[in-house]
Amino acid sequence: MTDIVVAVDHITKRFAGHTAVNALSLQVPAGAVFGLLGPNGAGKSTTIRMIMHILEPDEGKVTLFGGPRTGRELSARIGFLPEERGLYPRMEVLEHLIFLGEAKGLRRRDARARALRWLDRLGIADWGRRKVQELSKGMQQKAQFIGTLLHDPDLVLLDEPFSGLDPVNLQVMKEVVVEIARSGRTVLFSTHIMEQAEQMCERIAIIARGEKVVDGRLVDIKAEGGVRHVFLSFAHDAAKAVPVLADRSLVGRADDSGATAEVELAVGANPDRLLRALMDAGVGLSRFEVAEPSLQSIFLAKVGQQAATAPALERAHA
Amino acid sequence: MRKVIAVIRREFMVRVHTRAFVISTVLGPVLMGFLFVFPMLMESRDRAPKRLVVLDAASGEFGARVTEALAGARRGVGADAPVRFVVSRLAAGAGNLASLDSLIGLTGVKEARDTEIVGVVLVTDSVLDTGRLHYFGSNVGSLSEMGDLQRILRQAVIGERLGRAGVDPQVLLVATAPISLETARVSNGVVSGESGESSFILAYVMSFLLYMALLLYGIQVMGSVVEEKSNRIMEVLVSSLTPFELMLGKIIGVGSVALLQLGIWSGTAKLLTSQRVAIAGLLGAPPSEAMGMPIPAISGTLLAVYLTFFVLGFFLYSAAYAAVAATVSTQQEAQQAAMPVSLCIVAGLLLMFGLLDEPNGTLARTMSLIPLFAPFVTPVRYSLSPLPLGELLASAGMTALGVLAVAWVAARIYRVGILMYGKRASVAEVFRWIRTG
Repeated sequence: MTDIVVAVDHITKRFAGHTAVNALSLQVPAGAVFGLLGPNGAGKSTTIRMIMHILEPDEGKVTLFGGPRTGRELSARIGFLPEERGLYPRMEVLEHLIFLGEAKGLRRRDARARALRWLDRLGIADWGRRKVQELSKGMQQKAQFIGTLLHDPDLVLLDEPFSGLDPVNLQVMKEVVVEIARSGRTVLFSTHIMEQAEQMCERIAIIARGEKVVDGRLVDIKAEGGVRHVFLSFAHDAAKAVPVLADRSLVGRADDSGATAEVELAVGANPDRLLRALMDAGVGLSRFEVAEPSLQSIFLAKVGQQAATAPALERAHA
Repeated sequence: MRKVIAVIRREFMVRVHTRAFVISTVLGPVLMGFLFVFPMLMESRDRAPKRLVVLDAASGEFGARVTEALAGARRGVGADAPVRFVVSRLAAGAGNLASLDSLIGLTGVKEARDTEIVGVVLVTDSVLDTGRLHYFGSNVGSLSEMGDLQRILRQAVIGERLGRAGVDPQVLLVATAPISLETARVSNGVVSGESGESSFILAYVMSFLLYMALLLYGIQVMGSVVEEKSNRIMEVLVSSLTPFELMLGKIIGVGSVALLQLGIWSGTAKLLTSQRVAIAGLLGAPPSEAMGMPIPAISGTLLAVYLTFFVLGFFLYSAAYAAVAATVSTQQEAQQAAMPVSLCIVAGLLLMFGLLDEPNGTLARTMSLIPLFAPFVTPVRYSLSPLPLGELLASAGMTALGVLAVAWVAARIYRVGILMYGKRASVAEVFRWIRTG
């Protein structure tokens, strides 16, 4: 399983006046779930479009499955869910899926059987004969998801696949993605929601302003931060924790979410002292866990608050 | 190829399943039937003879001769055909025009039903010298009625001139007996049996159908591309299909819908015309009138020529429309940007009309070799007069080359343009796409 399915080699893409992606390199091994993380406007969509060869890089190159053919030439082996995803609103859902399958080169009968199976599996079998425009947004997204996977692609590129999904649908789609990876196929998806990546990805790359900040196996990236983070959940008197978390001799950085907090211990501080300080302050705790940092905090530390809000110009071309 | 067929099927089914298609397909024949039946109804209403007054201010028998000629005119052929005019002669005496004003006062006065007169023919001796005959009427706007009137009066004037020159009345009768020109079309040395008039109607209808199909359906190709851009489905599509497959499938799919609809319409028209006598009977019109309407007969070769040029023309203009659509983002922009293409289609139709008089002139020959206009011009020329095979093939060949050229350019514009969102591409940009694509 050391085959590299997607090799991105120093690709650069410039749009009028700014650089969307700058000398970015990535390696996605076969069978991995690879997360492409970054704030809005970081260049995630541009990168995925270049991998799919919908955009051509100004410099650098993309190699897929180790061969010279481009994403569009290999389209039968790739499932691509773009960020700008639409469906024909006046077509019936089943007909639409059959069409998308045929467009990938499936035979009509085969495409139909597969579409029916998928509709059933994702719980929208009753909607096959309805028009796309009658579906809710979540259901449309499921239909698009089916269209992407209908031809059993070896490589699945998903651009923000989970945005706007309710928890139930989110769960269904996550299971599908995990199953694809378990069957030895490769998934690359982009997101700006760290929890999703943390739950699903074996490998990640964080990019900001078109450049790679960090990439590698998620466990390695987390281990790099050491076991220096404390996760807190407050049972009562959460306000009393504020001065403790502000104590720079104890706490290096704190991500206080109100009901919970993630704390990076200051250099030289240890968890016992933090726990004691919190108890002395009268804070009620329901969780006190020492662990590796969360992806969210790694992300914030690496990218910084400032980069999280990219200039409007970059967002326009993201 | 399977992918192209998938696109064709989608475009076809989506259009055929719309209410608009069903309505227009049904409404077309209804409208056609109406156009077909309406003149019959009108005709039977207008069948009542019109009242004319001949103001006879000439000497001798001239006025009487004119009156007789008018009163003898019939609508249609045969002794039982209805008379055209009820004519009364007002003999005023040579040179006396005093009653003209009061007659004009009665002309075209609708309220006076019984005394209403349609027109006054003024007969004076000077007509014979000057050749100017005056008619004051409420129906001078009708070109066909004026043409008929002129023909009848001319005959009477010629008769009078010959009579005054001393020609025997018997000879006169024989000499001025009416003739009618029976035309038959010959192509390749074989009489095809079509009258000139029906060839003309056929040519007219065919060009008009092409014009309609191009404007209505060519613009649908454009709308379909713009829709895909604005629905954001384009990225999904181009990750599966090549732009060329997409464009080809779209044009063939929409074109098939056009052919289906035209086929249904032509079938209905054929049915209506073959049953015209029965229909006329239902409406109480004599069969002679229904038969008087020229019905074009389409030979197999003409149909083949027409369909060939129809398909070529459709490809040419649809590809152009698809390319235009790729450069814009909204329907409004598309309509503006498509103006040059639509103008070419209108020009093609107008040129065709210009050629009807001289289907084998230099202009006609030149237009047959210009791919933009040949689809309009060549089938019409072919239907009007025999066209040498070489010329026909040259025209088709040039048009086919034109289709390839337009498709090549369109595919290049299309390939880049379909993924451009937000702004309308400038002309300079489009040229860059064509050069570098």
